[in-house]
Amino acid sequence: MKIKLLLATLGAILLSGCQSDDERPTLVVQRFFGECGAVYGKSIDVGKAETECGIVTTMLNRFAAENPDINVKVNIVAWPGYAQLSAQIAAGDPPDLVTMHQSVISDYQARSLLEPLDEMLADAGITTEMLTPAGQRGTIKDGRLYALPWDTIGRLWHINTALMAEAGLMRNGKPLLPRNPEELIDHARKFKAATGKPYLVQAQVAAPDYLVANLYTYLLAQNAVVFPDARHIRLNTPEARKIVGLYRTLNEEKLTTVAQDFPSATANFVNGGGGIFPTGTWMIGPYEEAARSGTSALKGYAVAPFPQLWGQSAAFVDGHGWVVPKDDRSSAERKAIVRFLSFLARYNSDWTRTGHLPAFNAVLSSSSFTQQPHRRDIATMAATGQQLPGFVQRQSAIQGLIGEELEAAVSGVKPIDRALADAERRVNELLSQI
Amino acid sequence: MMERRVSGMVFVLPFIGLYCFLLILPFVMGLWISFHRADLFGSRHWVGLDNYVRLFADPVFYQAMGTTFTLAVLIVPALTLITLLLALALNRASRSAAIFRGLFFSSSVLSVTIVTLIWRFVLTPDSGLIAKLLTAMGIEPLPFLSDPNLTVPALAITTIWWGLGLPMMLFLAGLQQIPQDMYEAASLDGANRWTTFFRITLPSLRRTTILVIMLQTAAQLQIFGQAQLLTQGGPSGSSRPIVLYIYEVAFGRWELGYAIAAAEVLLLLILALMLAQYWLSTRGEEVQR
Repeated sequence: MKIKLLLATLGAILLSGCQSDDERPTLVVQRFFGECGAVYGKSIDVGKAETECGIVTTMLNRFAAENPDINVKVNIVAWPGYAQLSAQIAAGDPPDLVTMHQSVISDYQARSLLEPLDEMLADAGITTEMLTPAGQRGTIKDGRLYALPWDTIGRLWHINTALMAEAGLMRNGKPLLPRNPEELIDHARKFKAATGKPYLVQAQVAAPDYLVANLYTYLLAQNAVVFPDARHIRLNTPEARKIVGLYRTLNEEKLTTVAQDFPSATANFVNGGGGIFPTGTWMIGPYEEAARSGTSALKGYAVAPFPQLWGQSAAFVDGHGWVVPKDDRSSAERKAIVRFLSFLARYNSDWTRTGHLPAFNAVLSSSSFTQQPHRRDIATMAATGQQLPGFVQRQSAIQGLIGEELEAAVSGVKPIDRALADAERRVNELLSQI
Repeated sequence: MMERRVSGMVFVLPFIGLYCFLLILPFVMGLWISFHRADLFGSRHWVGLDNYVRLFADPVFYQAMGTTFTLAVLIVPALTLITLLLALALNRASRSAAIFRGLFFSSSVLSVTIVTLIWRFVLTPDSGLIAKLLTAMGIEPLPFLSDPNLTVPALAITTIWWGLGLPMMLFLAGLQQIPQDMYEAASLDGANRWTTFFRITLPSLRRTTILVIMLQTAAQLQIFGQAQLLTQGGPSGSSRPIVLYIYEVAFGRWELGYAIAAAEVLLLLILALMLAQYWLSTRGEEVQR
């Protein structure tokens, strides 16, 4: 009898362990942007946080602190985390909110794996008109909003003005930027002759998307129709050949760094290794800080959108957004999501300290944004920045395929014509299988 | 007799059941999916042999297979030879030998992420350890991670450094199995060290060597992490092994059927190669019997 009682008690204890006593709605937030718990693990002062990781970590901490009635669980995934997300969705266990590049949204939206967010955003007090044109273009698919746009990210020319001055490429305190491809080569040669350093710092190793951003930008500048429809790409064109030819000349004459990966190129620029580093908006903060510190080899710093080498001014942009994968959710869980979306919108201004452009018009015109260094120089990108057409799926895989062929073309391994034809064939084959 | 056979079956049944459930069933399911245009989320559209037809016409598949076999050829013989020499050098009961055994084995306990991080510091073209040494000597740094001719050797070196531990231990275990009296007899007969090595040590390690070669061949044909983290298969796909290609196709392009078709071909190739190696290496033994 005693043994039976003991077993029954033991069983009851074990079973009680299986039952959760937390009846709050659970919000599983999955994000990339890195792990920085050691520095920001307990921080809730969003205004004092710096860097993508620091700001997003602090924001999530703050949301959890402000909403004790919601059980917030945060999954930090290695960038970009889409393989993990796909596996979670395939297993029927998706998170509630996920960071997603706007260029990736079409993949999931076309397979009906994402919730349209129009209603939830309206409940959170967010209307389409409040969003920047670039933010809208990145998140509206088939007339519906599939994400809360969070920023606009694009490539800029980060410029070492001290070295540009040494090369005689400054006028009235501003860098003299080329107005056509011939002028770019001319500037690059002058720069190298004067400083002994390459004009461009570029990440050309293990960074296939790097060259693709240049190609897309200058194709958009020439009004080229890159994707005539959802099943075809048009790459082997005179416009594309001109662009790739320019970058090949830069490589051939060693007017650019050729053997650097992204971390090396990033460090090389701050160490005064070259004149201009065409890279993302997210580097404005660190480079501005380095230039101001006085201890770095970066003695002067300016930033500008890509120069207009062909046709018109253009910028190929992407952006981050918050999406909600489809799942069965209770009313309380949906309300928790709405609160989170509203919270995110409130802190969009803080996010711009990363260097990214805001997703909200009000932030774009606010002094908290415009008074940050160099932001006035790049603010136009939030309106003019263009993405690929919304019907183009697998944009990340497509960038990988094109980047691989561009690497071969720019480094001289393949003739430009053949590389572009191969890229076109490979992308068309991929698109035909969707 | 029958009763013994039944009881024997009962003992192996749990393993056979699990083996079928975890390996045979997924293999058959994979084979079935490879006849479909399929994505990760359950979409299936019957295409028959189309994925295989596409695969055998895909230059990137052949490039990836070529890279994989080049890596295996660079790694397996070198790894076998180096670990055999290390085992011979460290097969003694001294404190220093024990320390060096631990030292050489230590790289094997590291995860692929740490290994590639270490080798990235060494190989990075402009700021890596080798680049700095070469620059200090006035020599142009070698672009290990950006030159299509150097990326595959760079991956091979990384893998050899990482993989020293297990084969070395297998050789050490093999060496310790060789009866000492054979060496004593050879010594009495006046055999020199080379004769002893080629007539006693090497033949006695025959089975261990076959095991090391087979294990390493199977492992290197599935090389993945180093390539993904160190070179991302570039530049221009020159260092992309077949498993990385399969991963990219499945998770980047969501072409699950096509990726599985490539995986099935790889499986058959590994199986054929293992059987051929086994047959070649045991053929002599059968003749001797």
